[in-house]
Amino acid sequence: MNDLKRICLEACVLIAFGTLFGLTLNYQLVMDAFSGQLAPPQCETEPVAGITNALPLPAMIDEVQQAIAFEGVVVDARSPELYTMGHIDGAVSLPMVEIDAALPAFLEKIAKDRAIVTYCSGFGCPDSFDLGVRLIESGYLNVRVFEGGYPEWRDAGLPVTGESR
Amino acid sequence: MKNMSRIVYHLARLILALVFIYAGAVKTQDVVAFAGHVAAYQILPYAMNYLVASTLPYVEFLAGILLLLNVRVRPALVTIGGMTLVFMVALTSVLVRDLGIDCGCFDPGGGENVTAGAALLRDVGLMALVVLTWWLRNAGDVGRGTRNETS
Repeated sequence: MNDLKRICLEACVLIAFGTLFGLTLNYQLVMDAFSGQLAPPQCETEPVAGITNALPLPAMIDEVQQAIAFEGVVVDARSPELYTMGHIDGAVSLPMVEIDAALPAFLEKIAKDRAIVTYCSGFGCPDSFDLGVRLIESGYLNVRVFEGGYPEWRDAGLPVTGESR
Repeated sequence: MKNMSRIVYHLARLILALVFIYAGAVKTQDVVAFAGHVAAYQILPYAMNYLVASTLPYVEFLAGILLLLNVRVRPALVTIGGMTLVFMVALTSVLVRDLGIDCGCFDPGGGENVTAGAALLRDVGLMALVVLTWWLRNAGDVGRGTRNETS
């Protein structure tokens, strides 16, 4: 038992050494990634099953404001109930839970070359990212994800619309 | 029989060593491209993809070197086994979600085009080698044959 503990401890030291070595060599890259200065990594290889590998870019809160100012479309990926309770001022609702039903109307209304920013309930919520991927697959050229989502926007005191703000 | 065990042990150890040294070394050549492959799994947030891509290849490389040198074999096997297990979980999730991506296990620059299913099978094989090496290492006199062999 002690032997196993020692082996696991040595494995942890090995992992720590490797991690430290990698971080030392790629310090700037990691720092840039965590400070949001890097584009999201893109896979440059051909997809195996013909499915697109394009991923939506991340958008910071000021970039969302910029997108709104330049006639971009802010898209709320949350459920209609949450959208009604409160959403970013001017945001369009396109719930990820009803995407198959709601997407055709969205495609008709919004031109493919317009800038789109998706959001949902913050960093733990995957819907904005999934919606971004779906919109790219549908042909939209400029899709970004505001990962901070509605909570970050609301907490920053920026304009919201809804029953309970 | 002991000789056969010794040969199989060293063979399995060397195969694992070379596989992981190669996998680590080739990924360190293009960390950003590897981050792209990690991102394609759609498991981690953006920045974490870069963090994993910046560190994982070096852990693979280091563990491979230890196996090659026949020192700290069991800690290296635990590390490699743990990583392979994580890869298998990630690949299974890719299969379940039907993402259809290239596994990015070895060549981040492209040209590998190995499906998640094939990569999963390969990982099962690697895991079997890890278990075999561990078992033979524990079974008896297959290491360097001296008392001062480490782990």
